[in-house]
Amino acid sequence: MTITTNLAPRPGEEFSRRPATTRLETALTLAAGAALSIYGVVRRDWFGAGLATGGAYLVYTGAADLRKPYQGRVRVGFTIAKEPNEVYEFVRNPENWIVGLHGVRFDIDDENRLSLQFDDGERYTLNSQLRITDEKPGEYIAWASDPHMIEHRGVLRFKKAPGDRGTELSIAFEYKAPTGPISRALASFAGFDPEQLARESLRKIKQLMETGEIPTTAGQPVGARGLRGAAKRVVFRERPTMELQPQQRLAGD
Amino acid sequence: MKALCWQGKNKLEVEQVNDPEILNPRDGIVRITKTAICGSDLHLYDGYIPSMEPGDILGHEFMGEVVETGSAVTRIKKGDRVVVPFTIACGHCYFCKHNLWSACDNTNPNAWMAEKLYGYSGSALFGYSHMMGGYAGGQAQFARVPFIDVGALKVDRGLSDEQVLFLSDIFPTGYMAAENCDIKPGDVVAIWGCGPVGQFTIRSAFLLGAERVIAIDRFHERLKMARLAGADVIDYADVDDVIEELKWMTGGRGPDACIDAVGLEAHGTGIAAAYDYTKQRMKLAFDRPIVLRQAIQACRKGGVVSLPGVYGGVLDKVPFGAAFGKGLIFKMGQTHMHNYMDRLLKHIQQGDIDPSFVITHRFGLDEAPQAYRIFRDKQEECIKVVLDPWQEIAAA
Repeated sequence: MTITTNLAPRPGEEFSRRPATTRLETALTLAAGAALSIYGVVRRDWFGAGLATGGAYLVYTGAADLRKPYQGRVRVGFTIAKEPNEVYEFVRNPENWIVGLHGVRFDIDDENRLSLQFDDGERYTLNSQLRITDEKPGEYIAWASDPHMIEHRGVLRFKKAPGDRGTELSIAFEYKAPTGPISRALASFAGFDPEQLARESLRKIKQLMETGEIPTTAGQPVGARGLRGAAKRVVFRERPTMELQPQQRLAGD
Repeated sequence: MKALCWQGKNKLEVEQVNDPEILNPRDGIVRITKTAICGSDLHLYDGYIPSMEPGDILGHEFMGEVVETGSAVTRIKKGDRVVVPFTIACGHCYFCKHNLWSACDNTNPNAWMAEKLYGYSGSALFGYSHMMGGYAGGQAQFARVPFIDVGALKVDRGLSDEQVLFLSDIFPTGYMAAENCDIKPGDVVAIWGCGPVGQFTIRSAFLLGAERVIAIDRFHERLKMARLAGADVIDYADVDDVIEELKWMTGGRGPDACIDAVGLEAHGTGIAAAYDYTKQRMKLAFDRPIVLRQAIQACRKGGVVSLPGVYGGVLDKVPFGAAFGKGLIFKMGQTHMHNYMDRLLKHIQQGDIDPSFVITHRFGLDEAPQAYRIFRDKQEECIKVVLDPWQEIAAA
């Protein structure tokens, strides 16, 4: 997929060429993949065949990381029952951003550079600075990030949907994360999956624009969750009802 | 408050949980006066629906009195007596505006789960797994109702709870199943399953002008209730072949419309049924589409197969060649509740139908686990169970 910003990246805006993964992670991936494959082949049974396949995949991703930095690509679209201009205004208004972006803080400086900080308590903090590279009100906003830890560039489009359905709001972006396949899988398991984040953010914009609120069940009564439920609560970072603070401001209020 | 919580397959417990609170400006809180157990709740009880978690509060057929409303609620007022539809709709998206309420875009907080399995997510439902929204259900003393202005149907006090309760699901579901058949004068409609939805489908088919309804089941109390509504009946355990029987009863044409009011846990007899049971036990399949196969085979050329019965996964050995060869029309899906509640309330007010006919058992909420078992195992000629969440307190 190529990002169709109708603008080629200007000189200096291509992703940097440095490898995505640390040497150590690549080495570990290759070693683990090779070990699994050999063990799987030696076993000479169906389970072994499965292991060998998994190992081969690890070797493949490790080698791919050596050859070329990993670049993720995301394309997501939603149709919102509002006019393109309304959606554009809504998206352009920083007051509305905090609703869609969970755990993200942002800041705009004098030169119209936007700093994003993904902050999830003590677990991880990611900084990203980005610049609007091109914009046509009511049609598109294209951006590119600084060559920092996570590099990304993409475009947000506002297109009139056929048949009076409103606006097709779409986001398409490429990113380069300093991670190998293992860290990517772990990050996505912890909820840091760029595609999921993009999709849920657009969904929230749609929900808020169409209905005035974002549906939720956080804080509703629930019975004893049991052992498995307690484990899931940790994984999904749920909070039991009793601990929830009363909400200061309801979405859409 | 007290609530019935799912704790695993065949395991339900009445637990003390927090009272629900307003979480969004369009929410309302309802003090539940009556709630019912639905046939589709049995799919949860039997563990066939994915993404249930221990502690989830069950129940999607309920009514009561509004005790609190959010800041953006305008139509519904505190003190209103309301019946709550089991699907939650926002009222503003493309689907709500086109009367496809159960396809609402904006009410499922876990839409991504349903998208993974089905491609797109439908509206959220009360008490019906996290994939369908994870909203706490109504087999409890109170419930939080999102978008209460859009969904809740106000009812005056002239009608009893039991007369209007089933506007929350099974009456509209049966009615839509019949309406989907596009019934014309002279039409013969065959209905598999004479459970609560089947009973309402039979009566709705007559309301919509069917000439003749043939009801298929094997439990004599259910067949008796169908006969009382004016249907001819087939006890499938008594006949060699349901399809041949239907052909014979319709002068060789086959029914003009076939309605599957059974869904994924069909019983059936013979090799086909044994095959489906085995596959389901081995976790190779979610569904036992015995009725769907029969309905496709039995339906007349160009007829309608309408499915109010719930299916969950990928179906096996469905005779699609027959469906294509005969040019059948398929209509299915969760009920677009909001289209029917007003209309059906009028039928009740005019005395065309008294939905309380279907109730055979009444329990307090504390006895709900036992009530599920009686209903599932069809003990004591059970057809429909209504629960009173306050019964014990009232007696004390």
